Amino acid sequence: MDQSKQEEEYGYDLFPERKTGNNRGKSIAQSLFTFNHKCQVMLQFAMETSPYAKLLLSAMKSSGCKVLKERHFSCEDCDGTVSGGFDADSSQIVLCQNNIHQQSHMNRVVTHELIHAFDHCRAHVDWFNNFRHLACSEIRAANLSGDCSFSNEVSRFNFGLKQHHQECVRGRALRSILAVRKISREEAVKIVDEVFHTCFNDHEPFGRIPHGKKDAGFAYRDYENRDRYYANL
Amino acid sequence: MDRSGEAAWRPPRSCDDYWSEFRHCKSLRNCFHHYYTYGTSPSCKQWKEDYHNCKEWEKHRGAEAKDALQKSERNRVAEQRNFTPVWELRRDPPRDWHMPLNQENPQDS
Repeated sequence: MDQSKQEEEYGYDLFPERKTGNNRGKSIAQSLFTFNHKCQVMLQFAMETSPYAKLLLSAMKSSGCKVLKERHFSCEDCDGTVSGGFDADSSQIVLCQNNIHQQSHMNRVVTHELIHAFDHCRAHVDWFNNFRHLACSEIRAANLSGDCSFSNEVSRFNFGLKQHHQECVRGRALRSILAVRKISREEAVKIVDEVFHTCFNDHEPFGRIPHGKKDAGFAYRDYENRDRYYANL
Repeated sequence: MDRSGEAAWRPPRSCDDYWSEFRHCKSLRNCFHHYYTYGTSPSCKQWKEDYHNCKEWEKHRGAEAKDALQKSERNRVAEQRNFTPVWELRRDPPRDWHMPLNQENPQDS
């Protein structure tokens, strides 16, 4: 089997610990004083306190995909500067413990990957063969996770104001696709353009583009209230 | 949808929620984010109208206020669905979501 070629084609080479048979146990010393432990602690905090994450976890539970921290999250070392990924084969969210060092970053990565997981849960997303599906999920994740907030963009020295959010979403979706699939930049741009309008306007499960914690809090409130809302429409 | 339980109708959101949405919509922060995202300033008057209709309904239980509220919210829902999805929605969650790990065939990637 040409496994290594397949791994490269689907971006698995960015996540070297994903190769089969690498689920070894760790000693207690390794467990407590390492990036792995820090990753686990930050993940727990994100799941409990981030309104973005809480809403997504609720929505996934309602859709029949209850998320269990031990089963669906994995803190691993990754290559390069990638922060995380969603592995549709094993239904796992990968968090790059060697690249995530701040809680705010963890919150954002967890939200971003949960959006992929949410899409996987509610739709027939063909992650491996349909680039439009991949692009759509990346656009949604960049749009709704806070990846493209004004402050995050400024910290990357991307200074823009009017409608810059959309530029950022396009750019980040493009980068994400090019990082995990072998296609040309021109092709990727074309695909992103094709699906941009649809996917930028798909705000599920938030119902709005959450620009910050307050927005996300309102969205969470709306979500908790959905039974009353739809019953009285 | 008209049901026999019409007496049990209440506004889709509590009146306080309409007011807090209005205040949030008008805030400087939100105006900034709206401009950053859409290049325009947000329109908030619908929230204010909804708040007044909500209060009106609470006081007098009028049909006009109820209809106006329902129309406004249905509009909001329609706006959120104003696109053709790229993918097909599932009827059931993926079968292998809950399957334990290490069940994969080593030959598969």
